[in-house]
Amino acid sequence: MSIAKFLLRRLFQGVFVIWGAITVMFGLRVVAPGDPATLMLGQGATQELIQRVRVQEGLNRPVSVQYLDYLRGIVTGDLGYSWQSNREVEAMVIERVPATLELAIAATLVAIAIAIPLGVISATRRNQPADYGATLFSLLGISTPNFWLGLMLILLFGVWFGVPYPRGLRIAFFGPIPYPRALIINVIDMPTGRRPVGFLDAVVTLLQTGSIGELQTWLKHITLPAITLGTYFTALITRLTRSGMIDEGGKPYVTATEAKGLPGVLIRYKHVLRNTMIPIITVLGLQLGTLLGGAVITETVFNWPGLGQRLIDAVGTRDWPLMQGIIIFIAFGFVTLNIVVDGLYQYLDPQVSTE
Amino acid sequence: MISNRTISNLKQGLSSSLLAKLGVVLLVLLVLMAAFAPLLATHDPTRTGSFSDTGNPYPPPGFDYQTTIAQDGEFEQVTVSPSSDHLLGTNNVGQDVFSRFVYGARVSLVVGLLGTALAMLIGVPYGLVAGYYGGRVDDILMRIADVMLAFPALVLALALIGVFQQSTINVPDPIVMAGLAEGMPETIPIPGTVTIVAALVIWVWFARVTRGEALSIRNQEYVKAARGFGVSDSKILLRHVLPNSITPIIVLATIQVAVIILLEASLAYLGFSGTTLSWGYEIERGQDLLRTRPWIAIFPGLGIVLAVISVNLIGDWLRDALDPNVEGTERGA
Repeated sequence: MSIAKFLLRRLFQGVFVIWGAITVMFGLRVVAPGDPATLMLGQGATQELIQRVRVQEGLNRPVSVQYLDYLRGIVTGDLGYSWQSNREVEAMVIERVPATLELAIAATLVAIAIAIPLGVISATRRNQPADYGATLFSLLGISTPNFWLGLMLILLFGVWFGVPYPRGLRIAFFGPIPYPRALIINVIDMPTGRRPVGFLDAVVTLLQTGSIGELQTWLKHITLPAITLGTYFTALITRLTRSGMIDEGGKPYVTATEAKGLPGVLIRYKHVLRNTMIPIITVLGLQLGTLLGGAVITETVFNWPGLGQRLIDAVGTRDWPLMQGIIIFIAFGFVTLNIVVDGLYQYLDPQVSTE
Repeated sequence: MISNRTISNLKQGLSSSLLAKLGVVLLVLLVLMAAFAPLLATHDPTRTGSFSDTGNPYPPPGFDYQTTIAQDGEFEQVTVSPSSDHLLGTNNVGQDVFSRFVYGARVSLVVGLLGTALAMLIGVPYGLVAGYYGGRVDDILMRIADVMLAFPALVLALALIGVFQQSTINVPDPIVMAGLAEGMPETIPIPGTVTIVAALVIWVWFARVTRGEALSIRNQEYVKAARGFGVSDSKILLRHVLPNSITPIIVLATIQVAVIILLEASLAYLGFSGTTLSWGYEIERGQDLLRTRPWIAIFPGLGIVLAVISVNLIGDWLRDALDPNVEGTERGA
């Protein structure tokens, strides 16, 4: 089977899974306790008003009709209205995506930058102090809840990173932002009332004025959250790199290249590490869900204005349309990323069967 | 099922690995601490301090934790630093941090074990049926499992929390009932909703692993022979397929206990656990006082780390000794 055909099949599976995810979320809302109209209007609403909202929102129709309507809405990009704020759910989701994306990418970069060298060192200095240190670090890394880690980092380095308040950075959105602006994250440091700083924002400022101040502020804001979210992955990748390098390093081709007189560093990084990358990428693909789940918590600790924080708010207020919208979006992203990882896997290792 | 060779592998793994020993010792200590919590605790973990103005643990209206902390003598009396009376200090409402640390182990371990057991109860039969029957049945069941895997664990847990009413089950404490510990709470609140939610999130891993095992076992000669003799499917599943796939299930279960402990802590931290006697919840309480009273958040966090490390170490030991190469056991959290 060709790669194109394989990806097409994965895509088809992906569409099915996302349809399933939408159905599950719809089903959960249907079985959830509490009358939607009452939740929308609050406790004090009159019966007449509740009835009117029920009709207006189509809540009096059969569940099957509501389901088809919901599916149709999603296909056309209409996720309904938030019960709490009455805003369009799709806008509420999209404006929060850049912040989460920035955090997730930064965390992944932190993880890769630390873990791969650490894993290589650990494997080449097996059973030496450096190896024990790396092993202990990765054990702690996979066992520490990230919200606690975040708080401990604030406690230890908060002052250093200019975190003026015990709980996180006190970053908050400055009200709803129109669509195109949402691509640039608007983050504002509450105690100092500083201007919003997102990565793109900072880069634009740098290009326009040549000042790196914005970029520094951005870096200050993202460092601790990125380390918090990235630690679990750092630990995991360190473990995988170490065991992969040890397995791979014992193979005959390594001995052959050594005999040929290639320098050790070249062998390690060019040949052995490259072959170790395949299992690492597989596991990372499976772990993307943990990254997204971890982001939910990390955002809460650092008051990071991303999707996760909005999800927590939605769960707390039982704002089902918003909750559904965010979760379906996350599932969509997760499934899509997994397909991308599968494709990457094919590309990296032509030997992998696509059957 | 569990052969002598397996047992000798386990023993060898334990004696040769310092980390495996550490894991076992840590877990035994934690289990003992949880079991004898009422005897170890120095104070009733639920008893709060009080402000003389209001007579309750909550400060008078308008009290600002952040600005008045240093000056306000009353608050100093409610939230004290570690001393000989309160070994690890007290929390924001004056409860003894050490006693809550000890009791927190109960909630964490019970939710972890119960949640895993429940997840196995759903996932193992599901996987057995899918793998053993194969074909159309397998297709349908595993596509449903794929849908469950489309949600990150914590995100699915949050959605389920929205459906279930948060409830706790008050389990009577046998030690207190027997009159061995004066002044300790008579019941332990176990967060039932969180346990069920955790099981509903985790079961799919058991389904996948069991299915893979069943798929390879169903074509073994002995299974074919049993079928030829007219042994019923349910008997074959219980007598042959299940016992032969138990090793990877056990390894997976160990690691899922750690996953659930972290999940429970996260949900409690976010305030969705329904119980206040939880390490995760204590961390949430301590975070606003982090700068001035760090002990409130530090110690419960250490509890979580120790519990998860011990379970992960035991999981590593079992995996290395039994070497089942289980999908899904690479996840430590």
